[in-house]
Amino acid sequence: MRLIIDGIEFGYSSTPVLKDITLDANGPQLLSIIGPNGVGKSTLIHCINRILSPNKGTVLIDGDKVNDISLKDLAKKVGYVPYSANDTFPLSVVDTVLMGRHPHATYKSLDKDLDIVYDTLRLLDIEDLAMRNFDELSAGQHQKVMLARGLVQEPEILLLDEPTSNLDIKHQMEVTRILRDLSLEKGILVIMISHDLNIASKYSDTMMMLFGGSIFAIGTPSEVITKENIKAVYDVESDVIDVHGRPHLIMLDEEFDSTNKPLSPDTYAVKEKR
Amino acid sequence: MAGKEDYYRAVRKKWLFVLLCAVMIAVALILALSIGMYEIGFADCYRILIEHITGNITDPYADDIVINTRLPIALFAIIVGAVLALGGAVMQTMLRNPLADPYTMGVSSGALLGASIAIVLSSTLPLFNEQWVRIVMAFGFSLIPAMVILLFSFKRRVTSTKIILIGIAMMYIFSAIVQLIMITASEETLAEIYSWRVGTLALTTWETIPIPLAISIVCGAVLMFHYRRINVMMAGTKSAHSMGVDPERTILVEITIVSLMTAAVVCFTGTIGFVGLVGPHIARLFVGSDTKHLLPAAAVFGGLFLLLANCLARVSGEYGLPVGVISAIIGCPLFIFILIRMRRKSAWR
Repeated sequence: MRLIIDGIEFGYSSTPVLKDITLDANGPQLLSIIGPNGVGKSTLIHCINRILSPNKGTVLIDGDKVNDISLKDLAKKVGYVPYSANDTFPLSVVDTVLMGRHPHATYKSLDKDLDIVYDTLRLLDIEDLAMRNFDELSAGQHQKVMLARGLVQEPEILLLDEPTSNLDIKHQMEVTRILRDLSLEKGILVIMISHDLNIASKYSDTMMMLFGGSIFAIGTPSEVITKENIKAVYDVESDVIDVHGRPHLIMLDEEFDSTNKPLSPDTYAVKEKR
Repeated sequence: MAGKEDYYRAVRKKWLFVLLCAVMIAVALILALSIGMYEIGFADCYRILIEHITGNITDPYADDIVINTRLPIALFAIIVGAVLALGGAVMQTMLRNPLADPYTMGVSSGALLGASIAIVLSSTLPLFNEQWVRIVMAFGFSLIPAMVILLFSFKRRVTSTKIILIGIAMMYIFSAIVQLIMITASEETLAEIYSWRVGTLALTTWETIPIPLAISIVCGAVLMFHYRRINVMMAGTKSAHSMGVDPERTILVEITIVSLMTAAVVCFTGTIGFVGLVGPHIARLFVGSDTKHLLPAAAVFGGLFLLLANCLARVSGEYGLPVGVISAIIGCPLFIFILIRMRRKSAWR
């Protein structure tokens, strides 16, 4: 599986969002896209799976232009996990995840499709939710169900728009690790947008930092997560320490840090009621 | 595997609901034949039907009433109910809007305008067959909104919100023109337009049935064949796209089919409300939102509902009331009651 993005540009009327993005990526690997809000991370992902058509440049999957691949065949190669889920009508978790089988489904495939759905639910540890209604679940459970729906597409490239944004720290680590393990086991290219730089740095093989619609930095986490890059892109002072060979970011706010000291326990404004 | 068995058990219950509605239709059909001004017992209706089939007719008067008056009305009630509820289920699912129904596109107001123009013309011009001109005009006008959407799609991207807004705009335009016609119309014309607007099955004869039945069967079969892509639309346009469904094309194709199917029945009956909007919601409470089960369930429930509502309409008032009035008066409180009782849980677990 090889994804080539060749000089794509995209904009809404006169406002450019993406400028000359070029990338050559192979699976298996976990590639994280990071960058401030509004730099074009989601737009880039949407250009890969043809939700948006770039104004210039091409996207190639294994040498084929995405525009030349039928939508159904593209869905067999590229999966997508959106940022938020829709729940206008009550639908069970199984039925929601089963939708992801659409590109593969035939009139006789239900039993096999269900096996794949239940295997995936088990993998994400949400099998007990199978017959629950999607709209009864927590935001974190929603994200896992959405992830399951993307996985049952059995894609060779999986695109995820902030897949861990609603999860607690344990589940953030768990889901990101599953993504990384899956990329290795199944040889797929996982491309994930993330705002949690430390989680992304901990599990990613490659990181891509977008800024102003262009690639500001790309490489291993150590190459991308540096004090200088963080200052230039996010305008935030930081320290970067090494944890087991991977960069770990500590955010600094010198003005606040120097004037505000933690309150002593006696002066807590809110006390626990005894 | 326990998990898969749970799923199959739930699916069996959904099909049981469909089967139950179908059986109830068969029973209610005989009930519908026995109801009317001329009293015929429930059991006698079976006898008359059997006698008619075997050609051994003992009571020609009762036979005429049951076979030529009541049976076409009852059958058409099932067809109209099924078409409207199926159309509603497709529109709601595809546009992800619980307020959508087959009339969302302005099909019914288009039909009313067409019929109103025909009624006005028939009072001023001698036309060959007044009733058929009315039906053809209603059918033609009810397809205008779908054509407007198709033309719109050549210029701009079609989204569910735009479809609903265009439908509402068309509805207002058509209603305004109908109002204009009604202001200038004679009393007799006014009464005719009014009676068409309320929606009734009372004018049904055997001649009414073949065309709408054929169109409904073809359109219904195509919609059922497309159930997967309609289902995927529930996930939203971006997700549908990434699962291999072109959202824009799906909306245009299915909306054209629903409009055609709805126009085919509405041009004969006038606007029968409620079934198309609430029928799918009641079916959804029993079988969930997955279209594989929702579409057939909505269709059989819609058919059953309108058949029963028509029975009630026929015995209400001195000469019976329009079925559109009865279905809303009985159906809406029933729907609210079910909503309160069932909350968000499925009614069928």
